Amino acid sequence: MNLVRAYAIALKTLRSLKHDRRTAGFLVLMPLFMIAIFGYTFGGDIKDVDVVVVDLDAGSANGSVAALIREDLAGRDVLRIGTSEDRDEGMNAVKDGEAWAAIIFAPEFTVRVEEAIEASRTGSSAAPATVEVHIDASNPNIAQAVVAELQTAVQAVLVGYYGANPAITVSEDRIYGEDAEFIDFFAPGVMGLAAMMITFMLSIISFVRERSTGTLDRLLATPATEGEIVGGYALAFGLVALVQSAVILAAAMLLFQVSIAGNALLVLLTIFLLGIGSQGLGFLLSSIAKNEFQAVQFTPLILFPSILLAGVFWPLEAVPDLLRPVSDFIPLTYAVDACRSVMIRGWDAGEIWPQLVVLAGFAAGTLLLSAYSLKKRG
Amino acid sequence: MMEERKTKDFPRSDSASGSSDQVVRTIGLSKSFGEVRAVADLDLSIPRGCVYGLIGPNGSGKTSTIRILNGLIRANAGRAWLLGEEVPVHVNICRIGYMPQEMAIYAELTVLENLELFAGMYSLNKESLAQRADALLDMIDLTERSDSLVSTLSGGMKHRVSLACALVHDPELVFLDEPTVGVDPELRMGFWDHFSDLKRAGKTIVLTTHYMDEAVRCDRVGMMRLGRMIAEDTPRGLMESTGETHLEDVFLHKAREGSA
Repeated sequence: MNLVRAYAIALKTLRSLKHDRRTAGFLVLMPLFMIAIFGYTFGGDIKDVDVVVVDLDAGSANGSVAALIREDLAGRDVLRIGTSEDRDEGMNAVKDGEAWAAIIFAPEFTVRVEEAIEASRTGSSAAPATVEVHIDASNPNIAQAVVAELQTAVQAVLVGYYGANPAITVSEDRIYGEDAEFIDFFAPGVMGLAAMMITFMLSIISFVRERSTGTLDRLLATPATEGEIVGGYALAFGLVALVQSAVILAAAMLLFQVSIAGNALLVLLTIFLLGIGSQGLGFLLSSIAKNEFQAVQFTPLILFPSILLAGVFWPLEAVPDLLRPVSDFIPLTYAVDACRSVMIRGWDAGEIWPQLVVLAGFAAGTLLLSAYSLKKRG
Repeated sequence: MMEERKTKDFPRSDSASGSSDQVVRTIGLSKSFGEVRAVADLDLSIPRGCVYGLIGPNGSGKTSTIRILNGLIRANAGRAWLLGEEVPVHVNICRIGYMPQEMAIYAELTVLENLELFAGMYSLNKESLAQRADALLDMIDLTERSDSLVSTLSGGMKHRVSLACALVHDPELVFLDEPTVGVDPELRMGFWDHFSDLKRAGKTIVLTTHYMDEAVRCDRVGMMRLGRMIAEDTPRGLMESTGETHLEDVFLHKAREGSA
């Protein structure tokens, strides 16, 4: 081991960093970016979960227990409460995906609570009063948060106002995701994430190479149009994304008993559009990257926000307010939402079309921009 | 595009460009990259069936000229025609071949797959592809290696594949940018034999090189320096007019004249 030579190698390596300003800046800024995005995202608790409260409670001479529970819920920001006068309307809001849960207080709720408290005082027995919660459990994190929040409010009211305990039970009914477990929730997210990352990386590396080896110039000197070149790549990488998602779907079904409530083809269509858009994004960024090394640097910039902010592992409701607008700009957010809706809720194209439109726009937009950027020559 | 078109006096487009036997023609072609003038006021006129050499040191504007003619960059001023059609060429593009300076073939594909790709770009059908592929593989002496990945070939073999890709659609006008750079002397001889064959078949070849010694084999030579054409003639004519015996000396002679 000759230290002089090792030193020379070290010097050369640092020098080449010095000459590649972008890479040097990346090395310093990347950790900052990572700590910031992880810090903010993990710091966030679930909040503003949309629920509908249907309060039919007629109350008693002493007032309404349901009103007290609602007041308690409203005092914190985990749930964002909408109200309805009608039981069916409340349930439909959940079915349509406008709310995560419908919380229903029956007309005789307060009367039952008072009976139960009276019974426990006298030592006789009476059935506890019930709060019904009809929940969309396609997102287990949110389902848990809603139920926990409701339990907390019930406890607080009972102990605070009546000094008694077991008079109310929360009865849970799952509208979607009857048997949903975390794997059902993860599978669509992981599928979208994998399709996006792989097509993005394949695309950016391929095009950096096309540019640096001169093959792109050569193609452009043939009758091939810019649109044909970009479209050809999109087709190939869209198919790669399709094969990938088929593999993930099959593995999730066979190994983890994930079931698909809706049409699997709709899931594949979603992933296909996401794959095409991601490859277009890769193409666009390839024109900024001078070499494969710089291309690779774009990966974490795309990867971390996608993991943290697109609802892959944590619900969007857990993304802090500051970063919530960023989620809306990440195409993966829409793809994961669409896949989950199809796989767990069993939704059809009629319900997920807004997500499909966003993804088709993303795909078409990146492709057009790519073709345009090729066309514009110095 | 060519906003500042030159108001230079030239014949109307048809006769300027086209139906005549001038397969390549430029008038006042200029291109700058920022402060650097890569091509300055270049007039070119290359007749059909000619092997034309653009020669000059690195940075003299040869490659920029070729790239403008192939529509890969746009000139700032001047006009250019290929086969009678103004650049960027669309109608006649299938009659033109281009071999860029870099190897510019797909290392991760086989020799035949590369040929198939470029044949596809020119919409060749299966039979004509099969014919062309056989002929070209024979010409570049790689018939045995047609199913080998390009990445497993030697540098010289890759060069030959690159040449074959430029010829796959049997173009009548071929641009070869530094076709012989980094090619060993034996292979270079082979390349020049191919060029003679093409010429005999009536093709026009425009090539760039900075090997002055091989430029002697061209029918006509244009010497470029700092974006300008400093001399143009047959190699013999250039040597006679300057009294030099090597093109290299002709170039130095002309370069001195130019800066004097």
